[in-house]
Amino acid sequence: MPTYDTQDRTGVVPPAICFSHVSYRIKNKTILNSIDLNIAQNSIAGLLGPNGAGKTTILSLVTGLRNKTSGEITVFGLPDGHREIRQHFGVVLQETALYEELTTYENLDFAASLYNVRNPKRKIHEIIELLGLSDRANDSVKILSGGLRRRVAIGRALVHDPQLLIIDEPTLGVDVEARHAIWSHLRLLKSQGRTILVATNYLDEAQALCDTVSVLRAGELLITTTPEALLTRTGFCLDIQSEQSAIKSITHVLGKHHGVLRIDRTPSGLSVFLSGETVPDHIIRLVVQTARIEGFRVRPPDLAEVFKTLEERI
Amino acid sequence: MNVSLSAFLGAFRAGLLQLKRSPFLVTLTVVQAITFIFLVHFFGMTGAFAPTALIDNDKGYYAKTFIKSLENAHHSFNLQFMDETAAMKAVEQGKLVAVITIPKGFSENIANGNTVPLKVIVDNIDTDMTADIQRALPSAITAFAKEFHSPDIRVQTEEFDLIDHDTGYIPYLVTSALALSALIISGILGAVTVAREFESKTVDLLTVSSVHPLIPLMGRVFATNVVSVFAMFVAVGIVILGHGVIPVHPVEMASVLLVSIIIFGFIGACLGAAMKRTLPVASFMLGISLPLYLFSGTYEPERFDGNTIWTIAHFTPLYYAVGILEHATLDLRVTPESVSFNFIALFGWAILSLAAMLYFVRRRTT
Repeated sequence: MPTYDTQDRTGVVPPAICFSHVSYRIKNKTILNSIDLNIAQNSIAGLLGPNGAGKTTILSLVTGLRNKTSGEITVFGLPDGHREIRQHFGVVLQETALYEELTTYENLDFAASLYNVRNPKRKIHEIIELLGLSDRANDSVKILSGGLRRRVAIGRALVHDPQLLIIDEPTLGVDVEARHAIWSHLRLLKSQGRTILVATNYLDEAQALCDTVSVLRAGELLITTTPEALLTRTGFCLDIQSEQSAIKSITHVLGKHHGVLRIDRTPSGLSVFLSGETVPDHIIRLVVQTARIEGFRVRPPDLAEVFKTLEERI
Repeated sequence: MNVSLSAFLGAFRAGLLQLKRSPFLVTLTVVQAITFIFLVHFFGMTGAFAPTALIDNDKGYYAKTFIKSLENAHHSFNLQFMDETAAMKAVEQGKLVAVITIPKGFSENIANGNTVPLKVIVDNIDTDMTADIQRALPSAITAFAKEFHSPDIRVQTEEFDLIDHDTGYIPYLVTSALALSALIISGILGAVTVAREFESKTVDLLTVSSVHPLIPLMGRVFATNVVSVFAMFVAVGIVILGHGVIPVHPVEMASVLLVSIIIFGFIGACLGAAMKRTLPVASFMLGISLPLYLFSGTYEPERFDGNTIWTIAHFTPLYYAVGILEHATLDLRVTPESVSFNFIALFGWAILSLAAMLYFVRRRTT
């Protein structure tokens, strides 16, 4: 991988990506509203949010596919729109956008020509090996599975040795096994000194992969934190199955508990959201002492539930 | 190697590989190129000669000479010799435009200097064909009278040809059809190739790369030009071998076809970038090609069709391409503009298309 001057004149390492009060509007609709974001070099940063939150728009602003309406963006200290930036990043779009009739090798070869990569053959073989695609190098892309296509797309983004990898939904539409394989490849790329910016819908993906997570909703940045801190804020969710008569007393008891963030009524009973420090066992014991229940389940909250909790707490 | 050249060549190579793996598309492109040659060929065949029955009730010397005059009436009659019953049946069945009857005693009356009435039945369902008959008959009669120095014919034409050779209608048509084929196949391939980049979002990857997306897009369009050249090679082969049209200036013909393929590819690519969808752009390209063709001097030099149409024709690239092609192939000058001017006009179209494409590709990134 080539070395970059990632320090400025004062010796300070600039962030890989810096957004300062960045807004993006289409006509009168605000897609992103005054986003401030710093992504450190040699880290995996996640953009987490539901569809329409503005994740892909942020990636498009970094890559230059869209132009910001206001604010400032720098990539490795260079202002957006600077020609040199394009050499520093590789992009994996939501759609893999591969040439179906071409083989894995030929897709990478074409990408190499776009950056005038020196000794492309060697480089492509290195990437193919790195991503475990050696036995599919000469297969036409159209016969590859979704997971393999994702890997080819990642390989294509790496062919010119970028320092920053930008990936929109890295495991969209792939099976569990392929998902874990992609995660391990991304961790490997980070260990080689790259910075990776990932947009994802999946909380577990952000937790498994990212050093920092920025949570977005409707064009607003709700929070940037570590996955652990995010989990601490949102904790676990306790689903309780119970008869209507017991619900009132359980709600009354748990409502006073400092470790309970929120209680939602469900058709079969209650969903109780616990803070990260709260041990679910303690709450279960308390519930059982309070009323007769039919069953319970402890699970991590889904993304919508996390947002609801975050919105209530921020 | 320069990064732009690397990107262009890489895209060209990738485009060729894709086309190599799409033999059906290549075959259809060749078929499409030939189809338009056949289309205008059949048009020329069907439109040029009026199927006419000839009933010769005289069979004398003058009758035979008159029949020869009818046959020589320029591009008018497809004479079929019949008896009266068969002729009337064919007219009723719509197989004939006209029935000409040479009456008994025709030769004797002509020899004696008598006026002979000639019975002509016309199926005037189509004024085009009816007018053809009405124009051709007096012409044949005049030619007949001229041959025998008939004193009753006071006015005789003396023809001076501007061009030292006559050109058949079908050779004229199939030559101009080559330009149409080039426009349709190169235009559609260029348009679909670029539109497909937008549909599959691969254009985004070109946009974020270190070169302007126009460069790899052009590389891919040039790859389709290779297929167009192959298809046009087959079409030209049919014109030369099938229609016996031997190009008078073969290098000029090859040049104009090559330039047309490239420029029409650019025009298609520009439309592909503007419309960004393969199916609509292919239909649109086909849809505009035929009217453009009709405005380009397809059937006769466009200047004969009135000033308005002629002025409009100047805005179509086909006008210039047909102008050069007719000169290169048949040594005809169908445009008042020179061949070099026509080439310059075609290059102007290329620059215009590239500029428009630059706008459409750039616009997407903002």
